[in-house]
Amino acid sequence: MTEITFTFNGAGVAASGGQSLAAALIAAGRREFRVTAGGKRRGVFCGIGVCQDCLVTVDGTPNRRACMTGAVDGMAVETQSAFPALRSDAEVPDTPRARVLTPDVLVIGGGAGGLSATIAARRAGAEVVTLDERTVPGGQYYKQSADGGLLDAQQAEGATLVEDARSSGAEIINSVEIWGAFDGPLILAESENAALIVRPRTVIVATGAYDRPIIVPGWTLPGVMTTGAAQTLWRSYRTLPGRRIVVCGSGPLNLQVALELAVGGAEIALVAEAAPSAFRHPLRGARCSIHGPTLAWKGLAMLCGLRWRRVPVRNGLRLAAVEQYEGGLSATFRRTDGGTCTVRADAVCMNAGFEPQNEILRLLGARMTYDPAVGHLRCERSQTLETSVSGIFAVGDCVGLGGAPAACAEGRIAGLSAAALSGHGDGRGLASDRRALRRHRRFQNALWQLHDVSPTPLDSLPEDTVLCRCEEVTVGETLAGYAVNPGHLGTLKRATRIGMGPCQGRYCGPAAARLIAEKTGEALTDRSFFAPRVPVKPVTINAVFSAEEALRGDE
Amino acid sequence: MTSDLLVIGGGIVGQIAALELAGTGARVTLVDAAHNAGSTTNAGSLHVQMQSRFIRLYPEHAPNLERALPYYKQAAECWDTLEAGLGPMHLVRKGGLMLAESSGQMAFLEEKSRREEAKGLDVALLDRAELDRIAPWIGPWIVGAELCRDEGSLNPLLVNRLLAKACADLGVICISDRIDGLTVTADRVSARGLQGRYRASEAVVAAAWGSGALVRALGVDIPTAPEPLHMNITEACEQKIDHLVQHAERSLTLKQFGTGQIVIGGGWSAHDHGVDTVPGVRAGSLLGNVALAARLAPAIGTLRIIRTWAGMNTTADGTSIVGRLPGAERVIMAVPGDAGYTLAPLVAQMAASIVLGRDPPADPAPCSPARFAA
Repeated sequence: MTEITFTFNGAGVAASGGQSLAAALIAAGRREFRVTAGGKRRGVFCGIGVCQDCLVTVDGTPNRRACMTGAVDGMAVETQSAFPALRSDAEVPDTPRARVLTPDVLVIGGGAGGLSATIAARRAGAEVVTLDERTVPGGQYYKQSADGGLLDAQQAEGATLVEDARSSGAEIINSVEIWGAFDGPLILAESENAALIVRPRTVIVATGAYDRPIIVPGWTLPGVMTTGAAQTLWRSYRTLPGRRIVVCGSGPLNLQVALELAVGGAEIALVAEAAPSAFRHPLRGARCSIHGPTLAWKGLAMLCGLRWRRVPVRNGLRLAAVEQYEGGLSATFRRTDGGTCTVRADAVCMNAGFEPQNEILRLLGARMTYDPAVGHLRCERSQTLETSVSGIFAVGDCVGLGGAPAACAEGRIAGLSAAALSGHGDGRGLASDRRALRRHRRFQNALWQLHDVSPTPLDSLPEDTVLCRCEEVTVGETLAGYAVNPGHLGTLKRATRIGMGPCQGRYCGPAAARLIAEKTGEALTDRSFFAPRVPVKPVTINAVFSAEEALRGDE
Repeated sequence: MTSDLLVIGGGIVGQIAALELAGTGARVTLVDAAHNAGSTTNAGSLHVQMQSRFIRLYPEHAPNLERALPYYKQAAECWDTLEAGLGPMHLVRKGGLMLAESSGQMAFLEEKSRREEAKGLDVALLDRAELDRIAPWIGPWIVGAELCRDEGSLNPLLVNRLLAKACADLGVICISDRIDGLTVTADRVSARGLQGRYRASEAVVAAAWGSGALVRALGVDIPTAPEPLHMNITEACEQKIDHLVQHAERSLTLKQFGTGQIVIGGGWSAHDHGVDTVPGVRAGSLLGNVALAARLAPAIGTLRIIRTWAGMNTTADGTSIVGRLPGAERVIMAVPGDAGYTLAPLVAQMAASIVLGRDPPADPAPCSPARFAA
C-alpha cells in the first residue's frame, strides 16, 4: 500500500492510500473534526455516511464527510466550522459530465442483498446497473478492506460475492450518492465528477440499515461512536478506534466487533449487553441453535474467544452516561439492581439494534407498517419481494431487520423476479431460496429474543441530554416543544428544530416518533415518522445544477 | 364549546388576530386543522415590491397588486413593531434586490420602480458597480438590480414559537380540529368541526386557501386557490447575504436566515396532495429552482441542500380580503393577498379592529369581501 501525507489544520498526517480521512485522522490520534454552532466538538459517529458529524473542509470545499472521503496525497484538510466562508470569486461549474442510464434493473446498494440481486438479475439476462455509496462494494456485513486484503472467512465470502457480481456483466458504480427518487421511477445521483440520471424499468432497493444509538448524556462526544463505525475503521482500514475500548448496547454485532478489536490489539475494557445472559434463558438459546446451528455456533465461539482473551462481558448493564475527562471518556452503566458502575476508556462503541434506511422506499410511496418487536417500520412486500409500488422491489435490512443471510436469499428472489418483470426469464426456480429465507427468519426471530434493543424512553433521560445531534436540541427542549402543540412529529420539528439538520433526523426522528406514540397512546404508522423528502442525503447546489443541465439535454 | 370570539385558522394571520383580540380580555378560541397549516411552513420573505412572478402569472390581477402596494410597505413596518413586542425573530430589513441580466430586464425594472415610487415605496436602481458594493457574491453576468429598501426577511419558526407563547400567556385556547361548516344566527356564529362544535358571538376566518370553501355556504364565493410552492434550504455558512434576492424575469427568491442557512424558493410548484397530506416535491421544481440559484450566485455552489418542503400560498385576485362577510356580518374575513406572510400582521390587525370597533391601522374598504358578493 502506498504511503501518502496530507495536512490537518496545517500539520502533516501520514496515511495509507485508500484509507478514509476519518480512519487516517483517528490513526493519527485526531478525533475532533468539526465545531458545532453551539461550540461543541464532534468526530466520527456513524462511520458510514449517515450522521454528518465527521464533516471537514477539504481543499477549500466545506462539509465533506471524512468517513466517506478517501485520503489523497497533498490534501489540505481543516476542521469544519459551523459557518464556512463563501467565495465571491467562485464560478459556475463547467457543463459537467452526466450519464443517463436506462437499465432493466437498477439495484441500489452494494451489500449482501444488492450484490445477490445483481448477480441473479444479470444471470437471468437483464441489463443491470448497481449503485453503491461506499468506495468498494460489500456493504456493512461483507465490509471489504480498502487494500483488498482478507481478514477472515466473512470477508472472503464477501470477496467472492463481489467478484461474482463484477464478472456477471452488471455495471457496478461505487462512491455514488443518491439524492433524488421520484415517481417514474427517476433516480438522481452524484458520482465522482458526473451526475447520474437513471430511468430504470425496475428498481431493487437494498440500502441496508444503520446502527441505532443509545441516546444518553454524552453520546455526542468525540470518541463515542457506533459499533458499526468501529467495525468499519477496523475491517476496512485496519484502524483501531482507540487503545482502550468499551462496547455496549445489545445484539450480536457488539460481541463480534469487540472480539475483532481485541484480536486487532485493542484493550476491551468492557462489553456491556443490556439483556440478561442467554444461559439464563436456555430455551431461547436452544431455539436459536435449532433454527441456525451455524450462526448459533458462531455466537458461542465469539463468547469463548472473548473469555479466552479475558474480555469482561457483562449482561444486564445499560449505558447511562458518557463524560469527558482529561485524556479520555468515562462511561457509566446502570445495573438491573439499580446500582451503577463506571469504566474509563478512550472510545465508547454503541449499538442497540438498527434503523432501516428506508428513505428511498418511502419517497417512492412503498407501503410500510410498524413492527413493535424491533421498533421500526417494515416494508410490505409480495412473494416476489415487490413493494406496494409496481416495479419497485426491496430486499435486506432496509425493509426491516433480517440479517445478511436472509438478505442474500431475498436478493436472489428479487433479482430473478425484477428481471422477469423487465422481460428476462420466467422468474422461476426460487423454491430453495424461499426455504432458506424461512429458516433465516426463524433464526432472526429467536436471536433477537436473546437481546434487548428496547430504546430508553426519552422522558426518563436528564433534560440536558442532546436528542438532535445536528441542531443540538435537548430532550428537555423537545418535551417543552411537545407540550406547546402536542400530537404530531412535523409540528414538533417546526417547534423545536429537531430533525432539521444535515442528518435529516435519522437519529432523533425515530426516537421522537416513539415519544409521541407513548404520549398520545396512538399506534405508530408510516405517517408517525418525518415525511420523506428529497434530497435523500444532502447534495451540493453544484451537483443539482449538473443534473439539471444534463436532464435538459436529455429531454 | 362557547367563547366570546372564534378564530378559524392558526397560521400567522390567525395567531396575530387571536393575540389582538385576547389582548382586550376577550375569551378567544383558535381552531386550526393542524397538519398542514399554510403559514407554519412559510419561508419568511418580507415582500414589498411587486414580484415579477406575480405579474407574469396573473397579469389580470397585477393592477390590484399595484394598488395594494402601500399595504405591503405598512405591513413590513408592522413586523418591526411585532418583533419589538414579542422578542427576536431574526428580522432583517436591509432591502430586497431584483436582479436583471439584460438591458431589457433593466428597462422593465426601471418602469416598475417608477410606478412603485409613486405608491410610496423606497426604491432605487443599481448598476453593477453599486451592486458589487453591497452584494459582491452575485454572479458576474448580472448587469444591475432594483433595490427596494422596505423588504427583508425573518425566521418563521421563531415567529411561530413567540406567537404560540404569547397566545398561551393571554389565555387563548388553541384546538386542533378541522372546521367544515359555519352557520350564523341572529346572535352567534357556530362552527362545526370534525371533533366538536364551537360557538362565539363573532368569528374571524383566517384559513388562507381554505377560507373560500368555509364561507361558500354563506352565499359569498371567494376564490381562494391553494398554490403549493417548493422551497429549499442549505446548511449554514458565514453571514454574507443581507438582502432578499429576486430575479426580474425568473422565479427565484434567495435569502439568508440568522441561522446562516440559505433559503431558496420563488414560486416553483409542488404537488397538492389534498388537505390532510403535506404537498409533494416535484423533481423539476427542485432541479430548476436550485440550478437557477447556482447560476445567479456561484458562491453558494459548494453548499449542500439539506431539505426541501412545500408551503401553500393563497391567491385570490391580488388584493387582501378583509372585512365583514355580506349577509353574514358576524363572520370577519382575514385573508391576505399574494405574499400573505408579509401582509399578515396588517391584515390580522385590520380584521381585529373591525371586530373590536376600533380605528383600523389601514383603510379596509378596498379589501372588503363585498366585491365577491353576487
